[in-house]
Amino acid sequence: MKKVLLLRNGGINLHIPDGFIPIAQCLVYYVILIVALYFSVKWARSNLDEKRIPLLAVLAAGIFAIMSMNMPIPFGTSGHMVGGALVAIVFLAPEAAVLVFTVVLLIQALIFGDGGITALGANVLNMAIVGGFVGLYTFKGLNGMIGKYAAAGVGAWLATVIAALACAIEMAIAGTFPANVGIPSMVLYHFFIGIIEAVLTVIVLAALDKFRPDLLAWNKGDA
Amino acid sequence: MDKKDMGLIGVAVLICVVICVLSPYFASGDPDGLEKSAEDAGVPEDFSIEEIKGIPDAIFPDYAFASNPDNQVLQIVALVIGVVVTLLLGYGVAYVVKSRN
Repeated sequence: MKKVLLLRNGGINLHIPDGFIPIAQCLVYYVILIVALYFSVKWARSNLDEKRIPLLAVLAAGIFAIMSMNMPIPFGTSGHMVGGALVAIVFLAPEAAVLVFTVVLLIQALIFGDGGITALGANVLNMAIVGGFVGLYTFKGLNGMIGKYAAAGVGAWLATVIAALACAIEMAIAGTFPANVGIPSMVLYHFFIGIIEAVLTVIVLAALDKFRPDLLAWNKGDA
Repeated sequence: MDKKDMGLIGVAVLICVVICVLSPYFASGDPDGLEKSAEDAGVPEDFSIEEIKGIPDAIFPDYAFASNPDNQVLQIVALVIGVVVTLLLGYGVAYVVKSRN
């Protein structure tokens, strides 16, 4: 049997491994993934121009790299940036996050054994769909009130916490660990991991805004 | 692709390689959020809800060479390979689904 909790360097932070979700439930998440990919491809057909192809590719590569850098947080735990909110805010579209994370998570699962192949649908759901939507719409809601960077930071933090909550609920439905332990643990740890997420999201957005403002969708006036 | 976009890819790859070089030495070995939550709930290390057969072994399990998992230089090599593969697949997918207008 595959050993599922051996990952250290690289971590499985939010990466659900094979064996944590029963196959029947994995299929439900795969259906969600296919529907999300349908809308994402549709979005790409009308929004992804020549200039944004390299941007999407480098965001995927950057997210792959940064996920290897687990940083210590309290309680003897560690966490790394995920980036779902970042991609959704850069493109002002959660669909972009679905495309990026399908690529990254597929490679991590197939080549590096990080996150399950059977759990791919659930992992894209948490990191890209939940993370992307929560990050982007928190950003949009707060942008006018507290400014774009603060709004992006709060969006990224909330995206991490809500994605962790979604993961804990999936684990409870799967019967892997019960909600009364899983939800408080996941939310507590990701409360801190979300701070890492917020800081790095704001740094990347600020760097793009300084050096390549043409690539940020918010500079096209649709923020 | 114009010069600015080549520059973006160049800078991004450079940043990724720096992260890949630092990661095997500096990344925290503490259990991460999901792992720790599983531990909190008393989930055993070899837990599996059902045995899943037919899943191929990863080429670089845990971002390392299976033959020498503790070699940090090889971990860097595995990570850099991952960055390049992700960049190429990301570019390929974006190119295929891009706007035709």
